[in-house]
Amino acid sequence: MDRRIAGFGMDTITLAGPLEARLAAMRAGGFDQVMLGARDIAGHPGGVPAAVAAVRASGLRPTGFQVLRDFEGLSGHLHAYKVDIAKGMLRMCQALGSPVLLACSSTSRHASQDLEAIARDLRKLATLALPLGIRIAYEGLSWGRTINEFTTAWEAVALADCPNLGIGLDSFHIFAAKTPIDALEEIDPRRIFLVQLSDFMWHETPTFEDRMTTARTFRVFPGEGVHSEALADLVLRLHALGYRGDYSFEVFNDDYQQLPLEMVVQRAQRSALWLAEDVLHLPRPLPGA
Amino acid sequence: MSTDREALPDLPNPLGLEGLAFVEYATLRPQALGQVLEAMGFLPVARHRSREVLLYRQGDMNLVVNANPDDARASATEDGRPVLSAVGFRVQDARLAQARCLELGAWEAPSHARAMELLIPAIHGPGGAHFFFVDRWRDFSIWDIDFVPIPGVDPRPAAVAGSRFFGVVQYIGTQRGPDWLAFYERLFGFCEIPDDQRFGVLPAGKLMRSPCSGFLWQLVEPLGPDDDDGRERLQRIAIAAPDVPAAVAALRRRGVQFVDAAQLRPDDRGALTTPQLGSVSFELVHLSAE
Repeated sequence: MDRRIAGFGMDTITLAGPLEARLAAMRAGGFDQVMLGARDIAGHPGGVPAAVAAVRASGLRPTGFQVLRDFEGLSGHLHAYKVDIAKGMLRMCQALGSPVLLACSSTSRHASQDLEAIARDLRKLATLALPLGIRIAYEGLSWGRTINEFTTAWEAVALADCPNLGIGLDSFHIFAAKTPIDALEEIDPRRIFLVQLSDFMWHETPTFEDRMTTARTFRVFPGEGVHSEALADLVLRLHALGYRGDYSFEVFNDDYQQLPLEMVVQRAQRSALWLAEDVLHLPRPLPGA
Repeated sequence: MSTDREALPDLPNPLGLEGLAFVEYATLRPQALGQVLEAMGFLPVARHRSREVLLYRQGDMNLVVNANPDDARASATEDGRPVLSAVGFRVQDARLAQARCLELGAWEAPSHARAMELLIPAIHGPGGAHFFFVDRWRDFSIWDIDFVPIPGVDPRPAAVAGSRFFGVVQYIGTQRGPDWLAFYERLFGFCEIPDDQRFGVLPAGKLMRSPCSGFLWQLVEPLGPDDDDGRERLQRIAIAAPDVPAAVAALRRRGVQFVDAAQLRPDDRGALTTPQLGSVSFELVHLSAE
């Protein structure tokens, strides 16, 4: 493990290939944590138990587990269905020893837009997670129907008022929606449960369709895109607010999916070093520490 | 707001809680545990109709010893030590109590009721423990239906030194206090007691009172992160006694031993029995008779 980049991790969704190979490549790149994608766990040829064993054997600590979609605001049978889905994901999250489940804001036209209803469902999700020792990080997708910025995500979280419910920040969505970073001042830093970082290559993503396509195919690592200054500012502000939690690189990129793992991990490592040393100026660990 | 979802106002006692109906141990060694309980004054009074489950009682306190293989497996994972596997709460309406908890995000616990047995609604609690909701305790009780009295035994043995349930102590993970406080407050209407109000000789952690004021619930975090074994569980039962020294003397005569060390020894406020079978100890807490 490279202690210079402690606190930064990669996401399984960034790399191609078998789970074991991805985990080994991250470890070889000096990372000590991994954000786990549910598809990569459920899709393991040996099933979920084999995937859990692979994660435990990797020596990487889980940053979190993702992603529960479209949970909040539903009613009747749709709500009951989503509660079942949430329970299944919480059980996987627990089996993996992951401390956080990421839930992203609903895109569903069937979901209520009432903030009280959204908060009530988030409270329920947090209560489901509570006996399992799991925290819920609620993230505003930049194409979410009602909640599409971290500011409104925080409103819902604050209204729900559960100790194990917080927000997940994702730099992509902040830049895509052009949410003013000053609004971070409104958030209790202790309730930021996860920060995901990525950049992209263009300045404008005006429509939900633009954001979705870019987010799912052409994100890049911090420092590789056109929002490097804003990203550095975001990380510095979070640090100043007192955030000391994990940063995970949430980089969906079709090109990276067809490159050797080592090459992609090197890019991630370069990005983590840029953030740790050039942006945050974190002290270098002592030799042998 | 949709019409098919309940409105859930904050009521002071949302489940209509009225005390503890029972506390259950799961064990693979029911006879060894039975000896420990009998020394404490609990006597076996009834046997379950279909499963290897015994009811012990003294005064108003019911203790269930569950040696049913499926349930006792939980005990096997604890190195064969008995575990506190369930708490039964007396409520106004058991089905409604469970429905409310499920609506708020509790996990439903499975029932093993067989024909002609009561289906007692339950939810998951900490670790593998279950919380049952019992509404048949006034005119007749769950014990009348699912249990057969042991012949020739007093069904209501008197309590040693006037003791009764005081509460339950739960061990929780590091920094998990706020989580569990929220859980019990939201689901059951428990209320946190200020840190300067404590009872007995083991005051660590957070203390909550049931909305019926019938019992207390104590949440204890590890001393430090290195002491966190990652397992959250119901740890022990606390028993209220109007005169702790008299109760200690009465129990000592029955062979019960108490922790008696410089840091912790029996006094007027309370006492702790020496753990038996690796996990079973009882805390006595002074509480004036009402």
